[in-house]
Amino acid sequence: MREDHLITFDHVTKRYADGTVALDDFTLECPTGEITVFVGTSGGGKTTALRTINRMVDPTSGRVLIDGQDIKEKSPAELRRGIGYVIQQVGLFPHRTIRDNIATVPYLLGWDKAKARTTAMELMQRVGLPASMAKRYPFQLSGGQQQRVGVARALAADPPVMLMDEPFSAVDPVVRAELQQEFLRLQSELHKTIVFVTHDVDEAIRLGDHIAVFRTGGELVQHATPADLLANPADDFVASFIGRDRGIRLLSFHTADDIALHDSAVVPASATRTDARAALAGVDGEPWLLIVDDARRPVGWLSAESADAVPESGTLGDAGLLPIGNTFQVGVDPLRSALDSSVLSPSGRAVGVDADGAVLGVATQADLAAAIRAVAAGDLHPHALDRAGEPDEPEPAGGA
Amino acid sequence: MEWQWLPGHLDDLATATAQHLQLALLPVVLGLIISLPLGIVSVRWRWTYPPIFGIANLLYAIPSIALFVFMSQYVTGLSVVSAIIPLALFTLSVLVPNVVDGLKQVPDPVRQAATAVGFGTLRRLMQVELPIAVPVIVAGIRVATVASISLGSVAGIMGLGGLGELFQDGQQRDIPSEVFAGIVLTILLAFVCDVILVLVQRALTPWSRARKGAAA
Repeated sequence: MREDHLITFDHVTKRYADGTVALDDFTLECPTGEITVFVGTSGGGKTTALRTINRMVDPTSGRVLIDGQDIKEKSPAELRRGIGYVIQQVGLFPHRTIRDNIATVPYLLGWDKAKARTTAMELMQRVGLPASMAKRYPFQLSGGQQQRVGVARALAADPPVMLMDEPFSAVDPVVRAELQQEFLRLQSELHKTIVFVTHDVDEAIRLGDHIAVFRTGGELVQHATPADLLANPADDFVASFIGRDRGIRLLSFHTADDIALHDSAVVPASATRTDARAALAGVDGEPWLLIVDDARRPVGWLSAESADAVPESGTLGDAGLLPIGNTFQVGVDPLRSALDSSVLSPSGRAVGVDADGAVLGVATQADLAAAIRAVAAGDLHPHALDRAGEPDEPEPAGGA
Repeated sequence: MEWQWLPGHLDDLATATAQHLQLALLPVVLGLIISLPLGIVSVRWRWTYPPIFGIANLLYAIPSIALFVFMSQYVTGLSVVSAIIPLALFTLSVLVPNVVDGLKQVPDPVRQAATAVGFGTLRRLMQVELPIAVPVIVAGIRVATVASISLGSVAGIMGLGGLGELFQDGQQRDIPSEVFAGIVLTILLAFVCDVILVLVQRALTPWSRARKGAAA
């Protein structure tokens, strides 16, 4: 049985004494067990919105509810102990060991010391920190390790709600990708209700189940799933904020299982020149053979010319094969991976494999184009496509 | 210099040293007890810092002899208390700013994280901010302690007890070795106290010692 822990913003406005509006009549629901990402330009109010949830900021008007209950009904300290909080600068306590940092909230909640420490040790393992670090101090850890401790500290008392304010922004891109991946893995086990703030739209698209886009002035511009945001940005601001290549990026949200796959050009490495000629007769378009091993795993591409050059007695596996590049797993990897596989392949064809890496078939660029058209037909709504013709975008005089 | 005075007066030296220890260290303890709340108030309500620090600093401008004379003549009489109270006031000019600096250098993300995980104001102060301020506060205590041991000799000259009385006595009765012993013991006392404070700080802040080890 899982309780509801949805977060509701009900017409929340935050106006500071100097008249600055940080958050303007913000209404939104962040669903239970899912990741809602707040993204936007600086001054867009996303951090302010996040902080109204644990009362680090009190709204000027409007209410914030968790599970239908107004958060003002609890004292700030009590409320905060039930909400995990991770910030960019981590903010570990320098005078406490890693283990005691993680056990902070259990200590505050008055848990038995031994139980708090056992929990801390379990969490270290969970976030991928070796137990040997338990008695070290924060400064002895790298930035990435510190943020793992930060995440573990937020999880220690198993709060249903987690707030994360640009948690992965201060580390280098390699570590960030690693932390993001582990974050998604953790979330798939823990199903917390997470509000995640970032200024990085790629991170938002990668991590979010839902994305709320903010604009300077504290205005919520669009709330959508990542795929819908890419396909149908609400206005020019959102479109330009998402940036280039959103069509390509949209392909990340569709698995490559509707692509036509051909296997007539797939031949074993043990085959001969005669087999190759027979196979090539059945291949449309450019004459390429995909050579596979006994387990049908791809070995390399063979052009018709190279196949012809194989001596009568030799096998194709000994011929001059070209590297495969990337493959895509059918039904798992997105269409974008299939496209990538095709672009990087010397044959221009994408190699589809199953979970064991065995070849299921190859797709031509025409096959991929058909699959891409299907995505566009399903996702892109006509009004979005018509936008260019709307009168609010004046045509330059004497146009094209 | 003639040394024969010394062997017969080891007891006197020990008594004077013990007395000096008391009249120099009690003021530091008192000063710390006063400085902690003053420093905390100064950080929490920033506008209070200039007047608080200003007064602490002005107290230090009073010549120590004048204050010792005033206390012993008109307030607390010819007792060690007349040394302890002025010396305690003198420590404030060092201790208050160090408490303030120590609290101020708690990194903002740490304070923010502490608030966000659910520390109340008092608990955050006791369990996060003050522990992190310990190295800076102890640095202040070290200066205050050595200064207090040194100024304490002046109190002795005024007849309020401690190693200073050796200077007074040695000068009046022309026993240079007694004066010399007083100087050596004062320096020794300051040195030993300082070493003890360094050790106490290391024991209290392993995280700070480790930091230095890593930087080296």
